[in-house]
Amino acid sequence: METTKAREVVQITLQVNGEAHTVEVEPRMLLADVIRHKLGLTGTHVGCEQGVCGACTVLVDGEPQRSCLMFAVQAQGHDITTIEGVTPESGLSPLQAAFQKHHGLQCGFCTPAMILTSEALLRKHPNPDEAQVREALSGNLCRCTGYQFIVDSVLDAAAQASKKEGQ
Amino acid sequence: MADIASRPQFTGSRVTRLEDARLVSGQGRYLDDVEFPGMLEVAFVRSNRPAAKILKIDVEAARKLPGVKAVWTHEDCPLGIKNAGFDCTQWVLAKDEVRYVGEPVVAIAAESRYVAEDAADLVQIQYEALPPVLDVRTALKESTRQVHEGKSNVFFHRERKTDGFDEAFAAAEHRLSETFIFHRQTGAAMENRAFAAVTDPFTGRLTCYCGHQSPHELRSELCEMLDLPENMVRVVVPEVGGAFGIKASMYPEYLVVAWMALKLRRPVKWISDRQESFLADVHARDGVHDVEVAFNSDGTIVALKDHMMADGGAYTAVPFCGAIGETVTAASVLTGPYKIPHQATVIDCTYSNKTPLGAYRGVWGPIASFIQEGVVDRVARYLKMDPAEVRRVNMLSDEDFPYRNPSKMVYDKGSYLQSMEDALRLIGYEDFRKRQAELRKQGRYIGIGISVFVEPTASASSEAGSVGYEACTVRVEPNGTVTAALGLGPTGQGHETTMAQLIADQLGVDVTDVVVLHGDTDSAPFGGGTGGSRSGTIGGGAAITAGREMRQKLIKLAAHALEASEEDIELCDGKAYVTGVPAKSMTIRELAQLAYTNVKGLPPGMQPGLEVVARYLPPFRVSFSNGTHIAAVEVHTDTGKIDVIDYAVVNDCGNLINPTIVEGQIHGGVAQGIGEAFLEELRYDRDGQLVTTSMQDYLLPASVEVPRMKIEHIQTPSAAEGGFKGMGEGSLIAAPAALIGAVSDALEPFGVMVNAMPVTPAQVLAWVDQAETSA
Amino acid sequence: MKPAAFEYVRPDNLQGALAALRDHPDGKVLAGGQSLIPLMNFRLSRPQALVDISHLTELTGISVVDGAVEVGALVRHQQLHEHEEVRRLLPVLSEAAGEVGHWAIRNRGTLGGSLTHADPAAELPAAAVALRATVVLANADGQREVPAESFFLGFLTTDIQPDEILVAVRFPVPPADVRYGFAEFARRPGDFALAGAFVEMGGDASGSITWFGVSGGPERRELDFPDDAQARKAAFAELAAEFDTGEDAVYRRKLAVTVAEQAYQKAREGRR
Repeated sequence: METTKAREVVQITLQVNGEAHTVEVEPRMLLADVIRHKLGLTGTHVGCEQGVCGACTVLVDGEPQRSCLMFAVQAQGHDITTIEGVTPESGLSPLQAAFQKHHGLQCGFCTPAMILTSEALLRKHPNPDEAQVREALSGNLCRCTGYQFIVDSVLDAAAQASKKEGQ
Repeated sequence: MADIASRPQFTGSRVTRLEDARLVSGQGRYLDDVEFPGMLEVAFVRSNRPAAKILKIDVEAARKLPGVKAVWTHEDCPLGIKNAGFDCTQWVLAKDEVRYVGEPVVAIAAESRYVAEDAADLVQIQYEALPPVLDVRTALKESTRQVHEGKSNVFFHRERKTDGFDEAFAAAEHRLSETFIFHRQTGAAMENRAFAAVTDPFTGRLTCYCGHQSPHELRSELCEMLDLPENMVRVVVPEVGGAFGIKASMYPEYLVVAWMALKLRRPVKWISDRQESFLADVHARDGVHDVEVAFNSDGTIVALKDHMMADGGAYTAVPFCGAIGETVTAASVLTGPYKIPHQATVIDCTYSNKTPLGAYRGVWGPIASFIQEGVVDRVARYLKMDPAEVRRVNMLSDEDFPYRNPSKMVYDKGSYLQSMEDALRLIGYEDFRKRQAELRKQGRYIGIGISVFVEPTASASSEAGSVGYEACTVRVEPNGTVTAALGLGPTGQGHETTMAQLIADQLGVDVTDVVVLHGDTDSAPFGGGTGGSRSGTIGGGAAITAGREMRQKLIKLAAHALEASEEDIELCDGKAYVTGVPAKSMTIRELAQLAYTNVKGLPPGMQPGLEVVARYLPPFRVSFSNGTHIAAVEVHTDTGKIDVIDYAVVNDCGNLINPTIVEGQIHGGVAQGIGEAFLEELRYDRDGQLVTTSMQDYLLPASVEVPRMKIEHIQTPSAAEGGFKGMGEGSLIAAPAALIGAVSDALEPFGVMVNAMPVTPAQVLAWVDQAETSA
Repeated sequence: MKPAAFEYVRPDNLQGALAALRDHPDGKVLAGGQSLIPLMNFRLSRPQALVDISHLTELTGISVVDGAVEVGALVRHQQLHEHEEVRRLLPVLSEAAGEVGHWAIRNRGTLGGSLTHADPAAELPAAAVALRATVVLANADGQREVPAESFFLGFLTTDIQPDEILVAVRFPVPPADVRYGFAEFARRPGDFALAGAFVEMGGDASGSITWFGVSGGPERRELDFPDDAQARKAAFAELAAEFDTGEDAVYRRKLAVTVAEQAYQKAREGRR
């Protein structure tokens, strides 16, 4: 059993985007804050800190979860993927490219989490229909786009992938 | 000289956005991504009382907490925000009295936000409660307590009436009255507001980072309020996660943070959390309108009367007092696209113990549109006429332009009637009416709402300030790439792409060779910023003007170097050609090298280098976009739920720079319209507490609430450079009226005519009940 | 919105967790955190200590034992929603679990967390009552079992003691002739329900209805469902009239009737 006193700092190792990061944190530090301010991975955004807006969504063991509703100490032993982790070394991922092609973003603040959630969706359901895409993204708020071009982006990325699959 | 802009390659095309690559990969740098060594983070202790005297503030325990650098009250930071038009100052940290829940009272700077919030918990404030003033009708009564002692609660009053109004009103065959109610709402951008400040030890200059719509306006205000010269302050606007008007204001937190950076000599930043956002971002709407309309049996509307009341909140925001915007501008276009000759308005804006009112996208618009369309729908129902037909009867037609409305606003030529007819076709109006009749027999209620809008854009003054022009610098770098800079403050609109499209077409280069800078007062020429749907038209005009000046310079240079006449030089594909002699050409890069390095090779009289700055002032005070939104809804009378089942938009914003970006703006505005009509409400309880301070209470539309939309464009050019009109707000101006109209139409069998926004499920069931009880 | 400081205890196993909880009377159990952490971020909850059980694999199982589906406290809503055996034996539970919050919340929120938080508008506490589940509670000295119906005591209040951890929920597999229906209404999908209902129907017209979102907690009522729609709605309305609904009382009671009827129709369609 490990016990950390209030305001005491503890050393933890997080597996983020395939790399181990050892950082010192207070147990109360939210995963979102550690990812952003200790690891410098600022593509994860914080919008409401109560799990509603979805901007801080990251993949935990491949599944979308809110990094604002998890303490960093709890993320030990899990694989965390942020937007930086799905971005290829050069160019864009198929989903990222689809978002650009279909104007699936305006201010870009909700975008990394939209893309991560969509990644997870397409891994689970490679050929979703529009209703499935809308349902999967219903926990990711966007104030700019009215969602239509986001949905188009995800559907097109799925279509492109299955076309490639068929070849 | 060949005019490249007359056969544009990029302008009007669906160019994908240049800013997207960084944003989709999480590389955008928003304000909370700005960090400096030793940076302090700020938390505020805010008033939890709507109205109270401050008796005592005890900050001792907070000061002693390890990690806390400063705990400030009014005495430590005696700065104020004052809108020059009104006799009212908001102290950035409350002095003696608090006037709304959320008003900053104490500021704490600490090594982290966690510690700052710990310290905030330790601050004790003793208050003596005052009776809060919480709505506009109460505020208007003489007997009501004054929110600012010694000052009337009515801070703005104006009466206007067209000549002959009373006679026309009395002579009409019919009259109806209605009270329209607009609840409080706010922009709720996904990125919360924030501010950071750091001083430069070498120059002593203060650099302020802020997600703001008008970098230069913000700098002017900071300099005035901090008493600093403008060359000592730099404002940098990083990536902004949405603004929608709320980020055009000056806020107390900004001055506190800047003052802290100066006094504590440390970098300081404050990142609003979502609770603070709902409490302390400017609010919008919150109006009550007593409306009367006079009309004849053929559907002709002859006179419209409105007592417009707006609850402005505790202070008059700077630079844009929302209550004025929501009323005065509404009054100026209250008759919309309808040829109603007579109008009478009385405007009252009052103080209350609520958050100050500022700008939210479409300021005035959802209000005036709902009144104008609501009036038409009431006339139609009263006369048992088709709502589309009543609109046809009253609609402006081509021969009416230039049209001067009863508020003396001059409308651009537009496509008012055509946009409505096209939208009726898009939605399948006749078929819908048949389906509606059939479904009613089965106890299902669908309805259709028509909203024909006018959108005054690109006006000389808006929430972005009162700079009527915009400026653009265009520089061709020595290697031939292009750098442009504008004073705009984009917050997702894609100016890096649209402005690059315009400039690339002037210079005959690829759009990806043009980098557009913005949001930094050190690099951008002085400009008005982004707000009031001005950037495309005025900013675009500046981009074209500066691009054209650069083109002329390049042509002169090429003609000299290629020994041809200027008339024969063409700029295309990154080269300057001699017309008809394709072999005789120079690349832009070669011309740039010439301009920068070969001073003796320049034409006589030409300055070395390739850099121009141009300002563009449109030839009008305001430019009117127009269009029609038609919404189809189903109202479920067992749950009160409203589903938007179809949606059509026909939009006319003049020539299009980038149709995809325009459509994105429309989609987003309609989504916000759905929020405005059905979901979003900032609710105060009877004690003056804001009870909707989280995203679980203030409901934003999600992916499943917003339908797929059918959009068509009509292009009636404006007189501006490029023929553009603004379009950032039209969709939010039009959508709520269409959506609410559709609900009224669906519930017509129950005698319902909606008069308030948003409509809640509980309200729907109450109407249905009432109808069933009385039947 | 940052949580206040707390002592963090990360036990190695359930026994360790129970011992830690006994030693920290002001402590709280942290599982998925999807209800607790928002409250802590708002500083509406400031536990002195958190005993983190989120990593204890011994609480993550789903098994069928003695005619009941036993679901470990740490089973996530999404797992419950997608689990093959749960879909087959308790389809209404699977359906309800799929309606909890949004996908990202369901991926982390746990059954134990939902039941002990006892939000009156939550689906799973009502599901437990409707399905006549038994809640298994443990402390350092042993275990006890409480019928779900008596576990929920009111608004955000349950029978769990400060030293106890909810370790599992046992859902009896209903007899073959018993069918269930589930319906709810929220302003937006994923929001807490304004009203929801589970209907349980036996081979004859007898059965029960369990409402949620209409008062302080799940409300279960036995009744014989009238065949006539008007009579049935009147029966629902009569029951709903008793609820202390708080604000929008008239609306919430009408909604209670609507969701009850929707759930009834779904039960009639023959779902288990």
